[in-house]
Amino acid sequence: MTGVERETELALVARLRQGDADSFDDVYAAFNTRLFTFLVRLSRRRDVAEDLLEETWLRLVKHARRLRPDTRLGPWLFTVARHLYVSFNRARVLEDSVSASLIAIWPFSLEQPSPFEAVAASELERRIERALAALPSTSREVLLLVAVAGLSHSDAAEVCGITPEALRQRLHRAREALANALECDAATEPPALGGIASCPSR
Amino acid sequence: MSEPLMRLLAELPAAELEPEPAERIRRSCRARLVRHAARASGSTITFTPVWRLLVAVLGAAYLIGAIIEAVRVYRFS
Repeated sequence: MTGVERETELALVARLRQGDADSFDDVYAAFNTRLFTFLVRLSRRRDVAEDLLEETWLRLVKHARRLRPDTRLGPWLFTVARHLYVSFNRARVLEDSVSASLIAIWPFSLEQPSPFEAVAASELERRIERALAALPSTSREVLLLVAVAGLSHSDAAEVCGITPEALRQRLHRAREALANALECDAATEPPALGGIASCPSR
Repeated sequence: MSEPLMRLLAELPAAELEPEPAERIRRSCRARLVRHAARASGSTITFTPVWRLLVAVLGAAYLIGAIIEAVRVYRFS
């Protein structure tokens, strides 16, 4: 697990199982920012990410007594957060299909920059955020879990419910897709990124 | 370009939850954890002896009934 030693983690799990509130503070401090970052970039909305984050922590509290003594908190929390996002997304897709006809007559685009894109310090960061946001969520989530949240390949595979080999393949495709998206972005928006060539498809 | 790309991703800024919601979530989860723990420990203190007592009474009643039945069968046979 990234950020917390295994022995510390086992002790934290043991205390959580006993309902020790101070252990919750330690887990919260260790994972809250990483979980929130993962959820904001996955959902591309701060308000949604905040709700999903709160629900993730509530699930931990609810299941604290039933955690296995050898539970690895990182994969456990990211798995819950991801499941919550998937459920949220499924519900949103249903809602979107109902309101699709209304959106079609909306006078302007509903696509908005992601919260990260809006505050990104540099042009390069802004481009990466934009390219990341444009990826399909299955590609985005593996990049976020491995490169941003710092999970190992096997932990990320566990979170996504796939084999480590499948994760490696998915990660490889996601990297390529991100590189392509960056190239396309560089082609449409001139200077600043010297190293990135023009989009081959254009 | 994939390794530099992964490095760039790793260096992206983290999202910080504003202090107010962060504290609200932390406090409410803490309080719930304490409540759950109190309820769980309270329930073991209250109900465990009751269950044990019930099992003991039923077991004793069954045993006494079996002995009475055995004696009656023995006496009339």
